[in-house]
Amino acid sequence: MKEQPLKEVTQLIHAIKVGMVEGSYSITNKTLDIFKYIIMSKSWENADALMQIVRAQCRILQAALPQETVTANIARRILKLIREEFDLLHAKVQHFADDSQASLSLHKLVTQTSETNICVDYSLPQKGLREALLDHLQEVETELETSSENVCVQAEEHIHSSEIILTLGHSRSVENFLKRAIKKRQFLTIIVAECAPACRGHNLAASLANEKKVELIVIPDAAIFAMMSRVNKVIIGTHSVLANGGLRAACGAYTVGLAAKHYSVPVIVLAPMYKLSPLHLCEQDAFNMVGCAEDVIDYDSLAAREAKVYSPMFDYVPPELVTLFISNNGGHAPSYVYRLLTELYHPEDLEI
Amino acid sequence: MAQFEKQIVQAVLIADNNVWNFKPLSDEGSTALLPLVNVSMLDYALIALNRSGVEEVFIYASLYLADIRNHIKQGIAMYASWSFKMTVHVIGGEGCRCFGDAMRDLDSKALIRGNFILLGADTVTNADLRPVLEQHKRTAKFDKGTAATLVFKECSNNLRTGNELLIAVDKQNTRLHYHQRLRLNQKEPRYQLPLDIFLGNSCVSLHHNLLDPQIAIGSPSMLSLFSDNFDFQTRDDFVRGLLINEELLDSRIYVAMLPPAQYAHKVNSWPSYQLVSRDIINRWAYPLVPDMGVYRLQQQYVFHKDNIYKSHEAMVPKVSLHENSVVQAGSHVESGTVIRHSVIGANCRIGKNCQLNNVFLMADVTIGDNCRLEHCVVGSRSVINELCEVSAGCVFGSNCILPAKTKLSNTLVTSSSNTQSSEDHEAVELEAIGPQAYIVSDLTTGDPDADSDGEDLLAQQTLCIPKMGEPVRQIDELSDYSFNSDEDEDESRAVTPLPDDTNIFLSEVIDSLTRGFREKSNPDFLILEINSSRYAYNMSLKEVNFNVVKAVFGIQHILEPANDNVMLAINAVFKQLGPVVSNYIKSEDAMLDCLNALEDVCEENPLVREKISQVVHYLYDKDFVSEDAILAWHEQLDIDIEEQAHLKKSLAKLVDWLNQSSEEEDDDDDDDDDE
Repeated sequence: MKEQPLKEVTQLIHAIKVGMVEGSYSITNKTLDIFKYIIMSKSWENADALMQIVRAQCRILQAALPQETVTANIARRILKLIREEFDLLHAKVQHFADDSQASLSLHKLVTQTSETNICVDYSLPQKGLREALLDHLQEVETELETSSENVCVQAEEHIHSSEIILTLGHSRSVENFLKRAIKKRQFLTIIVAECAPACRGHNLAASLANEKKVELIVIPDAAIFAMMSRVNKVIIGTHSVLANGGLRAACGAYTVGLAAKHYSVPVIVLAPMYKLSPLHLCEQDAFNMVGCAEDVIDYDSLAAREAKVYSPMFDYVPPELVTLFISNNGGHAPSYVYRLLTELYHPEDLEI
Repeated sequence: MAQFEKQIVQAVLIADNNVWNFKPLSDEGSTALLPLVNVSMLDYALIALNRSGVEEVFIYASLYLADIRNHIKQGIAMYASWSFKMTVHVIGGEGCRCFGDAMRDLDSKALIRGNFILLGADTVTNADLRPVLEQHKRTAKFDKGTAATLVFKECSNNLRTGNELLIAVDKQNTRLHYHQRLRLNQKEPRYQLPLDIFLGNSCVSLHHNLLDPQIAIGSPSMLSLFSDNFDFQTRDDFVRGLLINEELLDSRIYVAMLPPAQYAHKVNSWPSYQLVSRDIINRWAYPLVPDMGVYRLQQQYVFHKDNIYKSHEAMVPKVSLHENSVVQAGSHVESGTVIRHSVIGANCRIGKNCQLNNVFLMADVTIGDNCRLEHCVVGSRSVINELCEVSAGCVFGSNCILPAKTKLSNTLVTSSSNTQSSEDHEAVELEAIGPQAYIVSDLTTGDPDADSDGEDLLAQQTLCIPKMGEPVRQIDELSDYSFNSDEDEDESRAVTPLPDDTNIFLSEVIDSLTRGFREKSNPDFLILEINSSRYAYNMSLKEVNFNVVKAVFGIQHILEPANDNVMLAINAVFKQLGPVVSNYIKSEDAMLDCLNALEDVCEENPLVREKISQVVHYLYDKDFVSEDAILAWHEQLDIDIEEQAHLKKSLAKLVDWLNQSSEEEDDDDDDDDDE
């Protein structure tokens, strides 16, 4: 890799590695800040140069943290933004050139871009691009900020009174979602699978226990199937959504998905838009991350000397097991994910 | 006091510990830069410090200072993960020979402003030291004489790597009262603890299952203590000195334990190198694992199942890698080769149909076709030509060229005949096995680092460099297991460990008999001596019978007979000591004990084993044992056990003869029995 990483990028990588920045929301936020900084302060002549810089930094982030897909997702958003803004400004300028009319009609815009789309030269200097980009970045930022809230708003639509909800581990979006539901609905029962070995489910249960009027049950992962028969809905978070609508979710999610399928319980996945990544599950080995062996058995135990100990972090959940995605833009079926992806990202940016 | 400015956390790293154990690679470069799973050990220590929130590090190096400086510079250029939020200074040089010198130097330069973390460069840990530092600060507030807090980790009892120790700690305030290192290869039969520990403190706990990962938290007073006591050379000196002169120096040492989930280990010898490599590959030291990109910014490996870490840029057939292996970028492995439990450095070439098991290759190593390598380390740029067989414990320095079809085991090989001769070492002529391969002697006589104190247990054990071998070994097996080169210890250690008193009794009887045999003293006196020993150690009659016979055969004269003629030696001994033996071996039961003892002797002494039927016949001739006893003994030998089956076979002829003679001379037989 020839490109030199920016100081901010290396610092972010280090912060994520040592666990100072955790959770996909804060990683996304920090990545966005870096790209904003690049657009603002870096000296770039034209859109093409800017895209080069963004791509290079994104590649470095990906090489260092291949599992954190949100960094690449946000980079793709920025690239798409640059393309759009450039096209728009370009169209405007052309429009000025051949038409005295100042305003742009929708019809003109559509016809113009479709003409020029075949081969756009992004290396042309474009005035006002930086300002336009920063304006639009503001929009992306607000979207990110409100994404959690927008997901939560839909809680009422999906959770009804005296239902039994099962969730796994501790996802921030699920936590907020359930809290909202508890406020609005009565007699809810929430079953939390603890999600060993990290047992982050305990934290979620502790946090939900502060809300008074809810019945909480914490179960070991082994009891998921046994409890599933009485569950009305499964609500889980995910690490990222793959291009086919499958999930890369916390280890144990596949168990939950299969059990839910067996009892025909709907599985609702909370996935804000920034978690949608245009990736397919192809390289089996690189897909997962394996944690500390100490979590599974003791270092001093005799078995530990001979056995191979794996503590995988993620499960792949195929799209058939997911009933509905809830993003900040509303609910989508897994089969619709590909459509969302084409809207979100430019096809040329899928491969960074 | 700098109360107003925020105190930064400082740390001191000591490079070049235990250099001697890493011969011959330690002659060619700093041991701190020795790669452990393709990342140098120094980096592991630095990352550990960085993760614990340390902001300033001083690295002390005595040898190869420039190399370490370069490495640090490179690391910063490569965005090593320790280079963030941490400044690294490399200090040292000629005047800084040992740990104590480094401490004194630090004191004189006044670089340390507060409590600091003290670490060896060979420590691999994923522990967060912040809680320990906090604990140290709390104790320091309470007790102004706090000099240091030593950090230990509990470990399983059945594996020794030479870093284990025994301590006595006050349970209430975790103050250290006693500190003793355990031996590498043996179980201690007994510990001696000063009585004061128990008299002076109400609540003392003894820990014998602790590992010392060379982590400590020091107070500023620790440095001045080193300056005041210029005879402190190592950390152990410091601990011992402080424990002895507690009142005089008015400083105390405290102890902290790492929680069980945190990994900490010291790499100070090849066996521990192998152990820690394995632990890293098996992800016990997470997040210090190869696929987390600990050293560089980018990830270098993809993790496959069976703990295989393979770089994208390595050309390795998937079937070659079996388990627990790491292959770095640029390496090329041909078809038919099998690799397991191994680490392959950058740009290595491995030929066809090789077998690599527990092998650690550094960068740019070439291995020819059809080689078999086991439990060995190969330094960078070395070449091992085709059809070589290298087994347990070999270490190759860098740039070695091993000629084709060489067979080696347990050898240290270097590339040049005149290894760096340090001042007190005259250059020794080295045995050549090739134009660029010379065998290095692995005896550590004149080891400058080893403590020459007579009381120190460590000094006795490091007769040779500990070598790699099968890593999983219970301590009981370990005492049977002998490292090939220390033959002196072999014989005494080959004995299956007996309970303590029996052992001492046996050795006393051997002493008495040896003296009696040499001085031709009266057998009655010897019997008296043995009897008094018997009552002193409360031995049963059976045990006495057993041990006396064993002791007779344990006399030096029989162990090492002139001209290897063991029968002659036995004859001589029994002529002198016969009355003693017959005093004990009277009844039929005693005879059985005697023969059982003989069986034990056979296992230990190959000379007797060869001649066993003659020995038994001799004893029969001289009426020490009866025919019935021999037959009964022969009957109870178990064919399923290999040793006994062998014995039974060699006795078959004698037994046949005895049977025949008993049929022929029935009357005589009765007489024999009466005796």
